Parts: sequence; structure tokens; C-alpha cells
Amino acid sequence: MGSAELLQFAVAGLKNGSIYALVALGFTLVFGSTGIINFAQGEFFMLGGMLAVFFVKLGLPLPLAVVAGVLATAVVGLAFERVALRPRRDSGPLALIIITIGGSMVLRSLSRHAFGGNELSLPAFTEGASIVVAGAAIERQALWVWGLTIVAVAGLSWLYSKTRFGRSMRACSLSHEASRLMGIDTARIVMVSFGLAAVLGALAGVVVAPLTQTSFNVGARIGLKGFAAAILGGLGNPIAAVVGGLALGLVESMSIAFISSTYKDVIALVLLLVVLFVRPEGILGRATREKV
Amino acid sequence: MGRKALAIAMATVLCVAGLTLGGCSDESRSDSSGLEPYKIGVVVSLTGSYSGLGVPEKKAIELEAELLNEAGGINGRMVELFFEDDATDAAKAAAAATSLIEREGVIAVIGATGTGQTMAMRTDIDRAAVPQVSMAGGSVVTADFDELVFQTPWPNRVVVPFTLNALAAKGITRIALISDSGGYGADGHDVVLASAAAAGVEIVADETFNLGDTDMTAQLTKMRSQSPDAVLMWTAGSEAAIVAKNMQQLGFDVPLVGSPGNGRVEFLDGAGSAADGFSFAAGKILLPEAYGEGSEAFTVATEFIDRYTERYGTAPDIFAGHAYDAFLIIADALGRVDGDVTPAALRDAIEATDGLIGVGGTFSYSADDHNGLSETDLVMYRVDGGQWVLDE
Amino acid sequence: MGTVAPRIRFVLFAAASVVIASVPFLTDDRYLLKILTFVGLNAIVVAGLALLLGFAGQISMGHAAFFGLGAYTSAYLTTAHEVPWLLAVAAGTLLAATGGLLLALPSLRLKGHYLAMATLGFNEIMSVLFVEMRGITGGNDGLSGIPFPSIGSFVIDSPAAIYILVWAVAALAFVGAANLVRTRPGRAMRALHGSELGALASGVNTVGLKVQVFAVSAALAGLAGALYAHSVGFISPSQFSLEFSILLVAMVVVGGTGSLTGPFIAAVALTLLQYVHALIPGLSKDAAALIQDWEVDISGLIMILTVIFVPGGLAAFLKRRRSGAGEEGEIA
Repeated sequence: MGSAELLQFAVAGLKNGSIYALVALGFTLVFGSTGIINFAQGEFFMLGGMLAVFFVKLGLPLPLAVVAGVLATAVVGLAFERVALRPRRDSGPLALIIITIGGSMVLRSLSRHAFGGNELSLPAFTEGASIVVAGAAIERQALWVWGLTIVAVAGLSWLYSKTRFGRSMRACSLSHEASRLMGIDTARIVMVSFGLAAVLGALAGVVVAPLTQTSFNVGARIGLKGFAAAILGGLGNPIAAVVGGLALGLVESMSIAFISSTYKDVIALVLLLVVLFVRPEGILGRATREKV
Repeated sequence: MGRKALAIAMATVLCVAGLTLGGCSDESRSDSSGLEPYKIGVVVSLTGSYSGLGVPEKKAIELEAELLNEAGGINGRMVELFFEDDATDAAKAAAAATSLIEREGVIAVIGATGTGQTMAMRTDIDRAAVPQVSMAGGSVVTADFDELVFQTPWPNRVVVPFTLNALAAKGITRIALISDSGGYGADGHDVVLASAAAAGVEIVADETFNLGDTDMTAQLTKMRSQSPDAVLMWTAGSEAAIVAKNMQQLGFDVPLVGSPGNGRVEFLDGAGSAADGFSFAAGKILLPEAYGEGSEAFTVATEFIDRYTERYGTAPDIFAGHAYDAFLIIADALGRVDGDVTPAALRDAIEATDGLIGVGGTFSYSADDHNGLSETDLVMYRVDGGQWVLDE
Repeated sequence: MGTVAPRIRFVLFAAASVVIASVPFLTDDRYLLKILTFVGLNAIVVAGLALLLGFAGQISMGHAAFFGLGAYTSAYLTTAHEVPWLLAVAAGTLLAATGGLLLALPSLRLKGHYLAMATLGFNEIMSVLFVEMRGITGGNDGLSGIPFPSIGSFVIDSPAAIYILVWAVAALAFVGAANLVRTRPGRAMRALHGSELGALASGVNTVGLKVQVFAVSAALAGLAGALYAHSVGFISPSQFSLEFSILLVAMVVVGGTGSLTGPFIAAVALTLLQYVHALIPGLSKDAAALIQDWEVDISGLIMILTVIFVPGGLAAFLKRRRSGAGEEGEIA
């Protein structure tokens, strides 16, 4: 196998991996502030793409439609938190997870009612042939995927480490009770983190839609991949989510290259299980000790 | 905590549980005016992942039944349809078959949309001995032979050899195969491997992807290293457009050949300029002039297309066509039944279908062929400037 | 728990049993019996999952795979090798239990979401294997022609008989589970749920216990799967997907952790909700079609509303009702 081909496999893996990473960032953000896994995260991905297509059909120019799709999804995310999750914010994580599962069912089904069961297309952000680097072709939309991932990680890292709000978020992830006593408005933190998670999911959804088209039922599968990526990296840390996403994407494409395309998901999942059994907190996760 | 709201929520749940016990006795209503209608059950996927297929199927059947009834029905009797949504779920399809047969007393079942759902209904179909006409394309539907079960789409065992022969005729013999791991792709994949030698072509690469995958460049890169003459793709969903686009991006410049499942507007939309030059075999419904203008088949197809387009604002896709044919086959057989119309008599009449012109082809069933179509019903298409044209 | 007088509990159980047992004598509607058989099958899985999740506090998002493992094993043995039905079902149950054991051993070091991921990953891996091991599973085309349950020459082929069989097994599963939680293993499980270190300190073999509960609950899922295969006669990979696993978890949580009654009621309600359009008598065809179109939304909404308005799940609600408002403390 030539080096150009190897590079091509790496490009494919990194492209898919970045998509997983963007979705994983949403998981990790909500986990960070609430301690729950948001099973509706994949539906934010779906909504971003579907709403952007909807706005294009309304006649909005593409850039505006993309922004509108992302913002509309953010509104859905905020509303979902406010209406469905906040009333039970003090219960255990299991109850909240079930709410997100119910939410994902409703969002997916509503999207089918509104936009139908067929796949819909969104134009590429920038037209043109792919760029060839050292024999490997890179499509232009992939550059958007990578660019957005970098912006998202940089933004989140800045938010977490440099802003007062971000520090409150981190405090929140350690202990809601203590944060509240410190005068942190935990309700607001949780709501904002849901809004941001929706934005991240929707961004991934709109940037992927030109590559793959989109439909009402794309959320579950991408949600699963994003969750796997977040877990693989270690929950609660944006860098870890990206590492997890890229690792997952690369493992998949290398499995296709060297083993079998049929079993690529099995190989990736087995590897994930092995990582979990060896490092139960993920690659970059911090070990936590249970207190009595 | 709002006690009232809580009570309402609980009441809803309990109501549902309670009502089920009362919901057992729903005797079939009989029409007071003259003859009872023929009751036909239809199981389609209106929700779940096949809803994009099931919805046009339902529309086509509703439209045709309405037309038939307005024209006075069959033998002076109307046709009454009973739709069930299987939600793309095999267990629900099985339950739907039971409901249609037991509760509504249908004399035939059209459905299902998917192969798995079609197979799941068989236990009840066999027990009640009610004929079933499926709109699912899986080979297993008629290959795993059941004298009660018929099928309208072009089966892979007819389409694949036709496609491979068309390629071989162009001197394309080294073929790289890519297929999805779902029902349609895996079925086509097996038929391709089994019929390659007979067609005189060689399968030099064999890759798969999963439904929902977002990128196939890794598979295509691997295939390119085998320097094939063409890529043959067997899949029906949105992934087809991804394969076409990935090939374009890679500069993998060999012909891409597909399956009837790609005869969808969504594929053209999704693949854009990457679809140019793409070719596939399908029935003549996509371009009725393939039948030869003025022929009876041409008239049947164009009239259906016009009627459907006028009613629903979009042209019918191939799935609507399969549904049209399924309804037509049953309506035609009903008209030919002598004496009492029982499910058994209807089944015999369906099996005796001979030279019936539908939109997917000309159907002739026999005691050992319940698919009824042949290679003459197929034609090769090519995409040119975002539209289908006849190849050659 | 345990404050409700055992006598009331017994009366309720007996009343429910009588209602359930009398259904086949009140109706011969095959459709209704089939749907209620599905309810019974889900209830069997939920009995096991309630033990695992509701009592031992260990999540599994892979129970659909155990269900599938039981279904395929029993279906394959009876169709390809003509193994007697009882033996085939036992083999399916055993294989699911073994699968549970093998998954539990390394997984149960994991906590919370990481355990959810591991079991969910297991479900996905099994889904691929169900498709790809075509020689055994029939691939995407599925396995058809699975024989009805039979013991010797006695064939259980009527919907009423299958209904009785499934519900008898469900009753046994619940009685068994109820006994288990009342005795020492049950107390140990609850200790585990409360605090693993605490349980460890009080002499509970936490790892051994977790693995055992996991295996038992996988076995129940496998048993239900095997019964499912023989009652519908056809199985295909899509029936054992992650979606089903998630629905099962939702049943237990909506029902309430630390309870068997709650998850049972939730299993009944959430299964029936999928068929609600066909179960309400006297609906017009259009109304039924409309409801059917919105069934997923309705299920999702009811899940959300129950969790929001009924803290602690249905179990806690029932308990408050029975013991009068305010008397009862917080439900775990």
C-alpha cells in the first residue's frame, strides 16, 4: 500500500472523526454541567441539518440558512431544558436520561411530521473540486468540518479556562450543591450548557448535510458514535472528546483499509471496550474515587 | 407538585391499559347498501426508517382504489382498503397482518414495504391462507417459495444478471463491488457474486458499508488500488449519493453503476454533478417512452404518472410504482374470479395473471414464479445533466 | 419498601393474576392476544432488568442483545437441528446467561455512563453478528418457519395457549424476583445500590453479586427472546436493536427503581402504547391512522411526563396512594 493511499485513509478517518468529535463535544458539555448523558444530542445534529434545509427552501441564502438552522436548534435545546429537564433537575441522573430519551423520540418524530421521511440535500458551503495534497484528495467541505471542530474546541477551552462563566460550569460539574452555596446560578449554567450543546450538535449537522444529505432519522446513529467518542476520550473534557472522536474515526478507516469494511464498527467497538476495561475512565479521563 | 397534572398523566396511562380490555369485540361492519365491498389490507411503513418508501406506496394505492371505485368497482362491488403502519418493525408487521385478517376479514394483503416486514407476516398469511402481494424487493420473498406470496419489484436475481451482461457487452469485465450491509445491499451482493462468472465478469474488490455511514472514501481508496473497469454499487438509500460524491472527490474516474434502488430524485439531488454518467438498470416507469410511444404499456404508465402528479404535486417514484402494480394485480385477479370470491379463489386468480401490463413491467405469474417479471421489463438508464436518459 | 402490608400486596398480586389469566377466556381476538403476549414477553425482560437496574443499580443497555441471543439460539436449534422445543429454549436461556456472565465480568468495574457504553457497545456488536453470521441467523432475511412451542406431541399453537404460556413464565419470573429481593441477596443488592463501598465494608461480595444478578437478568431476557421466536415464528436482526434496549431501560425507570410492581405496570403501558390505535374500541379509520402516525410522539411524551410528574416512578406513586399522602418517606 502506497503512502498516498495511507494518507487518504487517514484523511477519511480524520474527517469522520471530526464529525464524531463535534457531537461528542455536545455530550461532554452537558455531562460536565449536569452529570447526565443527553440521548437527544443526536437529534440536535439532525435538527441542525433539517432546519438549514428548511430555511434554504424558504429562500434564505445558504450562509444565513445555516446560521438560522443552528440558532433555531439552540432555541429547541434551551426550550427542551427549560420545559422538560428543569422541573426534575434535582433527581438522579437515570430519571433525567429517560427524559432525554423521550425527548429524542419526540424530536425525531416531529421532524418527520414536519419535513417528511425522505432524505434532503443541502448545497456545499464552497463549490469546487477537491484539493490534492501529496496524492490524497481532500474535499472542500472536509476543510469546513475541521475548521469548525478547531473553532469549537478553542472556543470551549477558552470558555472553560478563561471566563468566569466557564469556571462556574466546571465548579458545577464537581458539585451542584457546593456551587449553589458559592452563589453560582446553577440553573442558568445547566440551561446555557444545553443551548451550547444544541449549537455544537447543529453545527455538526449542517456541516455534514452537504456531504451526506440528511433526514429525520440520522440522529440515533450519529448520537451513538458521538457518545462512543466522548466515552473513549473520557467524559467532561473537550480535548478528550476530540481525541476520542478522531481516534474512533481513524480506527474505523484503518479497519476498512487493513481488515474488513463489514466489521469496522465491531472492531471499533471491541477496541473501545478494551480501552474501557483497561482504563475505565477513558483515554484522558480522570479517575474518580467513590466516597462512602 | 401539581397533583392535578400528575393525576392526568397517570389517568392517560391507566386509560390505555384499561381500554385494551374493552377493545376486543369489533365485529366487521356490513354495508347495508347492496353488495359488501371487497376488503383489502395494506401494510406499509409510514413511520420509521422506511417511511420515505411507504408513504408514496400508500398514496398510489389510495389513488388507484378511488379511481376504481368511481368507475363502479369490480363486478359491481367496491374496494375497501384497510391501511396498517408497521413502523418499519417486523413485530408490528406481524401484528398488523393478524389485525387485518382477524379483525377486518380482508381477502388479500398488500405489503409490506420492507423485506423483513414481509417475511414477518408469513405465519399469519399461511395460517389464514390469504394471498399476499409484497412491494419489497428482497429475493427471499419469492425465493423462499410460498404459494400465497407474490412480489411486484424487479428481483435482484433478474436485475443483477441483466446489469452484468450490459457491462460485459461494453467490455467492462473487472468490477469492484460496493454494497450496504442492510437487506437490499446484502441480497444484491450475494446475487452479484453468484452470477459474475456466468456473465463473464470478475469481481476484483468487494467492500461494504453500513446504512447511516457518512463517508466511503476508505472503501473506495481500497477498491481503486485494484484498478477496476467499473464500480458496481448495490444500495438504495442516501448512501448511494455519498459513494458517487466520494468517487468524484477522489478523482476515481471509472464508470459507476447502480441498482434500481437509485432511480430516485433524492439520489440526483444528493449526488449533484457527481451523478453524471452514473448508470443503472430499472423498469421503464422512469421514462415511459422506453415502452415505445403509443404502446399500451406507455399509456398505462403515463396515465398513472399524470394522475399521481396531479393529485400529489410530485411525480411517483419507483416505490409508488410497485404499489400501483400490487393493487392492479389484485384488482385484475378479483375481476377474473368465477363465483364466490374467497381468499383461495383469489390466490388462484393471482397466480393465473398472464401478460398484465403494470407500470413496472408485464406480469405473468405461474405456479413456480411468483415474481412475474423478466429481463425484457428492464432497461439501462444513464444520468445526464441531472436527469435520467435511456442508455445507448 | 416493605411498609405495605404483605396481605395487601398479596391481594393485589392475586387480583392482577386473575385479570391476566382470564383474558383468553373472555376474548378470542387473535390480535389482542398477540399484543398481550408481546406485553408478557416484555414483562419477563423487565423483571430481570428491574433486579439489575432497580435493585443492584447496574445499568444495561444491552438487554435486546440477550433477548436476541435467546431467540436465535432457540430458533436455530429447532429449525436446523430439530432439537426439542424445551431443550432449545433452555439452551437459549443458558447462552444468554453465559453471555451476561462474560460481559459482566470485565464490565462491572465500570460505573454509570461507562457501564452504559460498554453494554450498549455489546448490543451493537451483537447486532452486526446477527446480520453477518448468516449460516446461523439467516442474515438480514431473518429466520422464518420457527416452530410453535411443543412438548412431545403436544403443540402450543393457538394464540390463547401461547398467551397463557408466556404469562405463566412472566408470573414465575416476577414471583422469583420478588422472593429474591426479599431475601438476603436482595438486601445485599440494595446495599450495593446505595453505596458500593458501604456494601463491601459490610461483607457483601460486591463483584460476585453484581455478576450473578447480571447473569440472572440476561437469562430472563434470553428466555423471553426464545419464547418470542416461537410465538411469532419469524425473527430478524432489526428486532434486537439498541432502540429496544433503551425502551426496556425506560420501562424500568418510568416504573420506579427499587420496585417490581412499578416496572411491571410501565412495561404493560409502554408496550400497549405502541398499539394504542388498534386497542381503543370504536375509533374511525381516520382517527386510528392519525393516532398511529403520532404513536412515537405519544410514547415519548408520556415517558417525559411520567418522569416529571411522578418522581420515583409509578412505584412511588402507587405507594403514596396506598399509604396516604405524606406518610411515606423518600423513595430510593
